[in-house]
Amino acid sequence: MRRFVKDNALSLFFLLAFLAALVGQSIAGTADYNATQLSDGGEPVSWPAYVTSSDFAVDVAENWQSEYLQFLLFIMVTVWLVQRGSPESKKPGEEGAQSDQEQKVGPHARPSSPAWAKTRGLRQSVFSNSLGLVMGLVFLLSWLAQSVAGTAAYNNRQLAQLQDPVSWGAYVASADFWSRTLQNWQSEFLAVLSMVVLSVYLRQRGSPESKPVGAPHATTGEEN
Amino acid sequence: MSARTGAVRLLTVTLILGATGCSSAAQKPRALAAAEGFYTAIRAGRAEQACSLLSPRAREGQESAGETCASSIVDLRLPGGRSLETQVWGDEAQVRLSADTVFLHRYANGWLVRAAGCAAREARPYRCEIEG
Repeated sequence: MRRFVKDNALSLFFLLAFLAALVGQSIAGTADYNATQLSDGGEPVSWPAYVTSSDFAVDVAENWQSEYLQFLLFIMVTVWLVQRGSPESKKPGEEGAQSDQEQKVGPHARPSSPAWAKTRGLRQSVFSNSLGLVMGLVFLLSWLAQSVAGTAAYNNRQLAQLQDPVSWGAYVASADFWSRTLQNWQSEFLAVLSMVVLSVYLRQRGSPESKPVGAPHATTGEEN
Repeated sequence: MSARTGAVRLLTVTLILGATGCSSAAQKPRALAAAEGFYTAIRAGRAEQACSLLSPRAREGQESAGETCASSIVDLRLPGGRSLETQVWGDEAQVRLSADTVFLHRYANGWLVRAAGCAAREARPYRCEIEG
């Protein structure tokens, strides 16, 4: 058990932080929602009622989709684009999907390589792109969930303001949907930009996300 | 982030969305019944009963200038008509009648009329005879 915790401490830390933040969001969200309810002449709702509401779902989903998009783009764009001096980048000249030998697939696979890396054809292609595929799929499903929950939350507000509800299609083309979407995207893109550029010149001793403190600014990727 | 963790998160969202959708479907007939009950009371001249089916704010709105809700509500023109469509989104509902539109809110003790005698306006909220 102790070994398991030590070996998986990074995942466990973020799992607990995720759950704590989600519970915190639900509690603060319930209080905020109830303040609006009272000002609109309604009644406060319970915590279970709030966490099963479209308001909570859209707030959660809009953040999830942007996070998965951020990592999807980071994973995919770094295949083809480099940033000289960044530990998040491959070295200049290594752009692209690289050779089978460099990727240790097919006949170049090691005995310890995953089973699908040793195969050829579709299974190797699927496994070779599995991280991007899963992140992309989760991004699309989260964005779809945002649009569905967003339609419900938007229509709830429309009716509360004595206005007609709209269809899913009309909501996806609405300012509310794109405002929620783009306000999350811009912050994610800024965070990635900051990480890529700042890591050229700044260091965090001991972190694998940083170059060693004494590494030159011009050192790119893993040539530390 | 593993695929399994992502799947669990998505399942959570699906369950939330499913619960929301099911809840709305179950509430449609109740919202419609509340709207029909209100208009039945109006047509039958049971003003007190009609007022009891209004939300607290809507009732207060009818009690202005020293007049009771029951005495003011009979003076209003509320055409009503047969029900055409009911939409429920969360704790808000809209019932379209052939000559009128009604807005309702769900309280702990059931659906109450927030606004009635409503006419649509282009890109603006409905104008309503009763509103609260």
